[in-house]
Amino acid sequence: MEGLDAQADAAGVAMIATGTVKTVSKFEHDLLVVLRHIFGRAAPHQAQAILAARQPAPKCLSRACIELVKDTLAKGIVLHLVRAGGWRNEPFLKDGEPVGGRVWDRVPLPIRRPVFSRSVVELLIWLTAERPDAANDRRLHCPDPTAADELFFALAYDRLRGNPDWQAGLRIRTAFANNPYCWLLSPGDFAESSPPDFAPLFAGARAATLECLQPELARRWIASERGKRTIADWTEMKRRGSAEVAMLERYLAAAEAAGRTDLARWVLRTLAATLAAPAPDAADWIGGLELNAPARLADRLAIQRDALAFPRQMETLARWDRAARAVGYFDEGYAASQLWKEAFEAANGTELLAKSKRMLEQLDPLRN
Amino acid sequence: MSRAYRINVRESVTRQIKGTDEIGTKLELLEILPPETMADLLRRELIAKGFRENDDGTLAREDKNATVTVDPCNGEVTVKSEIGKSVTEQGTRDATAWDDVGPAAQTIEAKAREQLKAELGQKIDREQERLQRKASEKLERELDDLKQELGEIVNKVTREALKQKAAQMGTIQQISEDERTGSMTITVEV
Repeated sequence: MEGLDAQADAAGVAMIATGTVKTVSKFEHDLLVVLRHIFGRAAPHQAQAILAARQPAPKCLSRACIELVKDTLAKGIVLHLVRAGGWRNEPFLKDGEPVGGRVWDRVPLPIRRPVFSRSVVELLIWLTAERPDAANDRRLHCPDPTAADELFFALAYDRLRGNPDWQAGLRIRTAFANNPYCWLLSPGDFAESSPPDFAPLFAGARAATLECLQPELARRWIASERGKRTIADWTEMKRRGSAEVAMLERYLAAAEAAGRTDLARWVLRTLAATLAAPAPDAADWIGGLELNAPARLADRLAIQRDALAFPRQMETLARWDRAARAVGYFDEGYAASQLWKEAFEAANGTELLAKSKRMLEQLDPLRN
Repeated sequence: MSRAYRINVRESVTRQIKGTDEIGTKLELLEILPPETMADLLRRELIAKGFRENDDGTLAREDKNATVTVDPCNGEVTVKSEIGKSVTEQGTRDATAWDDVGPAAQTIEAKAREQLKAELGQKIDREQERLQRKASEKLERELDDLKQELGEIVNKVTREALKQKAAQMGTIQQISEDERTGSMTITVEV
């Protein structure tokens, strides 16, 4: 929180502290409402009215406001991660060995303590002063973001992307387009750019964050995959599918390179849930496509294959399983390989692979 | 008193247009015999079906609707449909100018010519789209017939490979094949 302290020092004394009640200016009040809205703890209509309006930003924030921002950020981000999945007693790899327990048992405090830079306050000031679809982005940069910064920016984006205008205004900004968490949550929004490097996500605080987010990622992607049948526009499917393939391939490659296959369990869980039917049909993903179909059969097939972005990853996950089975008891990495093997078996991986292959064959005009 | 002059421009645009579509798949050949032997069996079967060997080792056949290429080494199949033709679009356009000579008339004439060219270009683009649709339809028609034929080829190669494998294992006593179900029984004395 060093960055935020510096902001408070510069803020002057625009506050009146009366006992435990802190007094803030109108702008600061609005900023705190926006902040609480990002964590889902403010009435949406109140926050949206603030976000939709413009107001002049003060030169600095008061110490009282900064204290409240720090308090809300610290509590909000921890609560979010705990609720997302940090509370679960699950084993994750630490130095190549599975370690069980809840996140606060597994990860030492210095690593899991959220550290925010002043970029977060600058984002809040910008959101309060400008509209999210404003062209002016002078105050919206996130250089050298911390793990907590990146997660906060992703949460902010996720909260605001429901408004198409705001989404269009935000997704073109590098603070969001290069944010790995934004890509993990909604890659289709960033289809015009390439996925960022996911390698930093598999170390330190970012890895701990990713451990907490596993159930949340699986939950969101299960819903997203099940909703694909409602997509009628081939262009929309192309945008989403190609971004999802790019994101998943890059993410899984980074997880494998880092030796953190355990952080790909959400992909496996998503597949286990979406391919649960005895004979899943590709039509459950692409059956709704009817508008703006490309003339070329090759283009149509490519879009259909990309729509099955998750089933396509089963080959990679099965390869990891085969590699895990080849590791002997006395070999290095045995414990880590057992962890993936267990997850693969629990998800009925062999059956999922067969189902995925069948679905992809359905798209092959010379085989179906 | 001013008089209006009618400027008539005539343009002709010729463009070579092409509609192409292509899909790729892979034959599922069981590894009954070593890959080189399986590839050889496939090559022979494809040649029997009218495929010709290319310099790069692939086999190709030009069908009515598309060109089918098979790489016997890895079983990759490419089916490509291509239609090309030269299209010429002609047209005229009228414009009005207050002078029959001078920069104003030249500007109006150039503008009319430009608009006419754009119009003709759009017509060719529409023709290109039509050609593209036609190429894709041809490809789809080809796939219907090809799917069955490739299935038969794979079955035949598999049967032949099984016979060779059985011969390697011992003396073949009897081979019975059911054309209707595609099943085959080989009795081998080891």
